[in-house]
Amino acid sequence: MISTSGADFRRNEAHNRTLVAAFREKQEAARSGRPKRDLDRLAAQGKMTPRQRIEKLIDPGTPFLELSSLAANMAYDGEAPGAGSIVGIGVVSGREAIIRADDPTVKGGAWYPLTIKKIVRALDIAIENRLPLVHLCDSAGGFLPLQSELFPDRFMAGRIFRNQSILSKIGVKQLSLVFGHCTAGGAYIPALSDYSVIVRGTGAVFLGGPPLVKAATGEESSVEELGGADMHTSVSGTCDYPAATEDEAILIGREIVAQWDRPAKWPIQRETAEPPAYDPQELYGILPDDIKKQFDMREIIARIVDGSRFHEYQPNYGSTLVCGFANIWGFKVGIVANNGVLFNDSSLKGGHFIELCDQNNTPLVFLQNITGYMIGRDYERRGITKDGAKMIMAQSCARVPKFTVMCNGSFGAGNYGMCGRAFDARLLFAWPNHQIGVMGGDQAANTLVEVKANQMRRAGEAVDPATLARVRAETLAAYQEQTSAYYSTSELWDDGIIDPLDTRNALGIAISVSLNAPLGDKGYGVFRF
Amino acid sequence: MPLHLTLDGETHAIEIVRRKPRLVLEVDGRRYEVVEDVDQGVGSLVVDGARVAVARAVVEEGPRETCFVRIEGRTHEIGLIDPREETAGRDSSRDEIHAPMPGAVVTVHRRAGEAVARGETVVTIESMKLQTALAAPRDGVLAEVLKSAGDTFDKDAVLARLVPADGD
Amino acid sequence: MTPPAAPAQPLFCKVLIANRGEIAVRIARTLRAMGIASAAIHHRAERDARHARVADEAHEIAGDTPVAAHLDADQIVAIARACGANAIHPGYGFLSENAAFARKVVAAGLVFIGPDAATIELMGDKISARDFAAAHGVPVAPSVRAGEDIDAFVAAAEATGFPLLIKAAVGGGGKGMSIVRDAGELRERARIATSEAQRYFGDGRIYAETYVERPRHIEVQVLGDGSGGAIHLFERECSIQRRFQKIIEEAPAAPLAEPTRAAICDAAVRLAAAARYGNAGTVEFILGADGRFFFLEMNTRLQVEHPVTEMICGIDLVRVQIEIAAGRGLPFAQGAARASGHAIECRICAEDADNNFLPATGPIRLLRVPAGPHLRFENALDEGQRVTADFDPMLAKLVAWGETRAAAIARMIAALRELTILGVRTNVDYLARVLATEAFRAGAIHTGFIAEHAAALAPPARDPVARDRALIAAALGQRGFREAIAAVEEPYASMGRWRN
Repeated sequence: MISTSGADFRRNEAHNRTLVAAFREKQEAARSGRPKRDLDRLAAQGKMTPRQRIEKLIDPGTPFLELSSLAANMAYDGEAPGAGSIVGIGVVSGREAIIRADDPTVKGGAWYPLTIKKIVRALDIAIENRLPLVHLCDSAGGFLPLQSELFPDRFMAGRIFRNQSILSKIGVKQLSLVFGHCTAGGAYIPALSDYSVIVRGTGAVFLGGPPLVKAATGEESSVEELGGADMHTSVSGTCDYPAATEDEAILIGREIVAQWDRPAKWPIQRETAEPPAYDPQELYGILPDDIKKQFDMREIIARIVDGSRFHEYQPNYGSTLVCGFANIWGFKVGIVANNGVLFNDSSLKGGHFIELCDQNNTPLVFLQNITGYMIGRDYERRGITKDGAKMIMAQSCARVPKFTVMCNGSFGAGNYGMCGRAFDARLLFAWPNHQIGVMGGDQAANTLVEVKANQMRRAGEAVDPATLARVRAETLAAYQEQTSAYYSTSELWDDGIIDPLDTRNALGIAISVSLNAPLGDKGYGVFRF
Repeated sequence: MPLHLTLDGETHAIEIVRRKPRLVLEVDGRRYEVVEDVDQGVGSLVVDGARVAVARAVVEEGPRETCFVRIEGRTHEIGLIDPREETAGRDSSRDEIHAPMPGAVVTVHRRAGEAVARGETVVTIESMKLQTALAAPRDGVLAEVLKSAGDTFDKDAVLARLVPADGD
Repeated sequence: MTPPAAPAQPLFCKVLIANRGEIAVRIARTLRAMGIASAAIHHRAERDARHARVADEAHEIAGDTPVAAHLDADQIVAIARACGANAIHPGYGFLSENAAFARKVVAAGLVFIGPDAATIELMGDKISARDFAAAHGVPVAPSVRAGEDIDAFVAAAEATGFPLLIKAAVGGGGKGMSIVRDAGELRERARIATSEAQRYFGDGRIYAETYVERPRHIEVQVLGDGSGGAIHLFERECSIQRRFQKIIEEAPAAPLAEPTRAAICDAAVRLAAAARYGNAGTVEFILGADGRFFFLEMNTRLQVEHPVTEMICGIDLVRVQIEIAAGRGLPFAQGAARASGHAIECRICAEDADNNFLPATGPIRLLRVPAGPHLRFENALDEGQRVTADFDPMLAKLVAWGETRAAAIARMIAALRELTILGVRTNVDYLARVLATEAFRAGAIHTGFIAEHAAALAPPARDPVARDRALIAAALGQRGFREAIAAVEEPYASMGRWRN
């Protein structure tokens, strides 16, 4: 085991605490850094901020796992902190729910392209986990200057309403609390919810607001007439319950959720939870201060799992992939963690272990720190691509819930085998030190410089070192920006950056909610590859 | 939302911080670890490791709930505030009493200028051979009562209007 | 072991208890011990009351109000006859000092457990009682009677000297009473007292007597055989009063000089003997700081506070009452009367002791009664019962005995701390505060004690930790709050309020 007093440990610790502090600073700015004008306007309307609404909605003394708190942090010149939307998992009247709140302090709650992506992701999480959804509606509608990036395509705005409909079809409840305006497409959010509550005076639901109606038909109308609480709850029936105040709307909402049935979770092996025996604070000293430095993933596991107990599978085979069983918050999981590049044997071990877990109804946790599958003539001759494909196949087809934590690097096809974003991890979190790309910046720069040099040679030109240096510098710069955890989370390639210390709780909640969805039927037995 | 309680005319807020393995509560921000063992109103309470005998009884009188708590030879009379009443009683936007159906006024119980509490009957109407009592939707003062006994009205007609009481 | 055989011939076959509440329960208990059947009466509104359940039989009495029913002498006598009772025990209050009722009982061929109607009449009128006492050498406060001529009354009163206490000739409970300290206010006070007396008691006669400053209320329990034989069972002190009503009584009196004690008891026996008093009665005196004492009145019935005498004397006064009524005579001669230790009674009332002792109403949701040696809790309470404004706010009496006064006080404070009556406001905590004062412990008591020590008796500020504990207990008593705790499962229950 590692020494917690060595110089390396202390250097790592200082480095990682700095990273986490920077992350917290960005997160705090995204959560509460708002122009006074926007906050004053909200107060003048007698409205709470969306975070205050969430705090009152969820059960007191329960956690709230916020997802993608830094979405859009590197987009739109930082105009849309959190992508103007808050998404998280919490407990409402004793029932797990995903909560999605428009943020009226960001451009009046307007939907940017990444807002849409975040909302659609929330609905996908709801579908995958059969997780009831509470919408806290207060949005001006689509951000019109960027309409082409948010309206027409398959996973754009329409997907929200398609997903809402699918949720209803599979019996997952939705509740909308309408605090502000739901205009145009946004009007369908309460309309497609099973239940809705609307606040008198400030809440409104309409396809077209008064200015649009005036322009279209010349009709003069007030907000209340067009889509106010009394009209919708007593005339149109579009909304179900009127509320006098935001507080009352939340109370009614909580009562509504309290009426919902609690479908049985699928039975997972479960023990009484116990904290890790090793102090999770030590994670900071274990994670290296340089992405190129190797570290033992078992040390990480020991600071996440119950009692730091880990039953390791095939301890002597394929040692660059650590596989084994542990409990997180009492839930039995299979852990697949990288301890180096993936070779043939580690790939086969991974594929085999994933099949074992699937047969045993054990959810899978992937802890990524992967530079890729081993390349080179010998490995290709031994079928490294074929063995990697087995691991990817086993992982893609596993029925059990999968969860991924980007503990450090995630490069190349290793990202695929280790359940990267494309592989439908129920939730995927990243640590602040995380980097991601098809390859590392250095390798990419080297490769592109080599390609450029070859181009010049083929064209019969002299190889110009200055040109090569420029290619190299540009490539490195672009990679540095785009491989960072902040870029990744800005684009919603993950479900949020988390402090490594929060990993245990985040996974506990993720596993708990995943058990709401039934498992599919088993396919094949376990192949010993 | 925290639970609000009143004692000696002051309001206090209690919030749940954690449930297990020990219940942790915050009283006006002060944190306590609590183990309760009370059966049929009698038992003990361990607060931050100190055990005290406790007896308690809740009395509901209309919307008011009062909890009598006896600890160490002292009885505390504590008001429990229903969050729904808390948010709904002073609803300033429910200012009108509407007719739920067409009919005629049978009795006007309260006059303009009188203070009324939420739930108090203001007008009794008759429609389809059924009498219905229409109640004040919130606490306030009756600004006007627009119909007298014998008057007829259509569905959704406004029968009375409220304004907030002074001090609201 | 075979239990001792009950007397072959009980003194009475059946006794009707013309009362309710704790005293009816207490009388029924003695009747059962004596092998006498008991019959209770109750109004419709109190048909489930404890006193109606513990008696061998219960009969409903009609009346517009429960109190009116309990005051309906004819109806009660008729029921007694119909149910085959031989005697009626009136308890205290209601018809216990109503001469007409006593007469009707006797006329119906039944025994009235109490003195005869003439004695009740004599002692029921304060002026005739005073005159009788004075005539038999019992000290009475100098006094002046108001007649038709108010000027003469004022002149005579001024001659007596101030301060003066103006009182109604009949009635009690402080109605029509007032203290007058100078001549200027005398006339107006007299007028008010007359009209109050007329309004409350239907008899506007009043009188004025010398007012004793810092007076103590000392009373003597007497027993008379009806033919001139009388003994006393020592004195009681009832100086702790609010609204002119006793709330804490004790026996013997708090520190009292032996010659004064003897003189007071002798005077009481002299009065009872002269009146040829038959049964148990109480002679009340006012005692000044200077040792002078004056006759106040005689109560021709069992007193509320009789248990303190029972505790120090080791006897059952209700049993003695029944034996005297049955013609058995006095239980023992004066020389055989013995008292030991000290007993205190606290009247547990449904009232807001911190707000002018206003009566309180509400349900009794939780009742936990203190237990232990030398402790009595006289009550007719049931969980679920509603305390209404129909009857007196006194809920129960807590009685404690100790070898010394200090021991009795300590036992009483411990018992009050244990006593739990929740759902209606009570004076339990207030009583404990009275007992805990230095002045009470020192015996520095008088009828103005409550007013004198008002500041010290106000509820102490709540210790913040104790307050928070109470708030926590209350919150955990609320259904919604409990449900909110129980509704959340693991891992959320253990994770608590965590944010990422």
